[in-house]
Amino acid sequence: MIEPTVALYGDAFTKAAAVLEDLIEQAQVRYALLVDRKGFVLVHKEALWAPRPPALDSIATLVAGNAAATQALANLLGEPKFNELVKQGEKQGLYVEEVNDLALLVMVFDNTTPIGRVKLFGKKAAAELDEITRGAVVMPRELGIDKDFHKSADAMLDDLFGN
Amino acid sequence: MSTINFANREINFKIVYYGPGLSGKTTNLKWVYQTVPGDRKGEMVSLATEDERTLFFDFLPVDLGEVKGFKTRFHLYTVPGQVFYNASRKLILRGVDGIVFVADSASNRLRANAESMRNLRENLSEYGLSLEQVPMVIQINKRDLPDALPVDMIRAVIDPEASFPVFEAVATEGKGVFEPLKEVSRMVLSRLADSA
Repeated sequence: MIEPTVALYGDAFTKAAAVLEDLIEQAQVRYALLVDRKGFVLVHKEALWAPRPPALDSIATLVAGNAAATQALANLLGEPKFNELVKQGEKQGLYVEEVNDLALLVMVFDNTTPIGRVKLFGKKAAAELDEITRGAVVMPRELGIDKDFHKSADAMLDDLFGN
Repeated sequence: MSTINFANREINFKIVYYGPGLSGKTTNLKWVYQTVPGDRKGEMVSLATEDERTLFFDFLPVDLGEVKGFKTRFHLYTVPGQVFYNASRKLILRGVDGIVFVADSASNRLRANAESMRNLRENLSEYGLSLEQVPMVIQINKRDLPDALPVDMIRAVIDPEASFPVFEAVATEGKGVFEPLKEVSRMVLSRLADSA
């Protein structure tokens, strides 16, 4: 715990989840994820009709890596940033919208959904999530994880990684 | 920087395997993947070239289990070790909680170990961090090589002040793979408790 972190809980989490639910309905996408820049999932929602999603950790990690690489490319070309990222396959597409310097919004959609619709509602949702995530930044000491947590986790390390 | 999701009761830590090219970072992750039970790990993602050299990173999520009501996970990453992939290496360090530095015991890789450690310091400094602020352990790998250098000689080059715990390993056989991972995990958890 070295830097400030985004900790979504209580009101902030409820609001972010509601934004993603609205987004799924309005944009008609399969999955919507809010991920932080390090590749961790903060919140995710799925459409009721969507099949079980692939590993969300992997999606978040690859999207964050991709976004970081895109940002580095922008810097090399003298641009402050490249805004959005679209990947389109035969049946599905993936759209990534930058929320802010803390988080990314990821949407997976069927190709029957117009990309314009995805972008329109994606940008609207990203603007709402910007405010929510900025309000959820806390310093590590404010997280309330105590020494008991450390002791309990320590004992479990032997179980997972061996004595 | 760990990520805590209170709503889902999750806490995630990022541990990065760093070191020179071909020192065995990916081999470590593959061994962990093969050994940890299926219900305690996620999918392993490898972004590698056709000849299996890491191009961007390898990624493996491992579940520690539920600690005080929090599902606790370690996200393990490797960086590409080859010198010219530094831009990628730098990106992977973002938000790092702990580092396993994998050094190569081969006599002709002493300089590569030193350069990689220097590179790690430089890349961390771009995030405003120093090695003293990030929990780190050193794994000296390939101890089975006939020309393996003495541990003290390698340590004198990469950790002259003996600041970090050192583990000897033969990662291809799984020897010394889990010990450094467990130690760095302990250090990361300890830091979290100290900052609370």
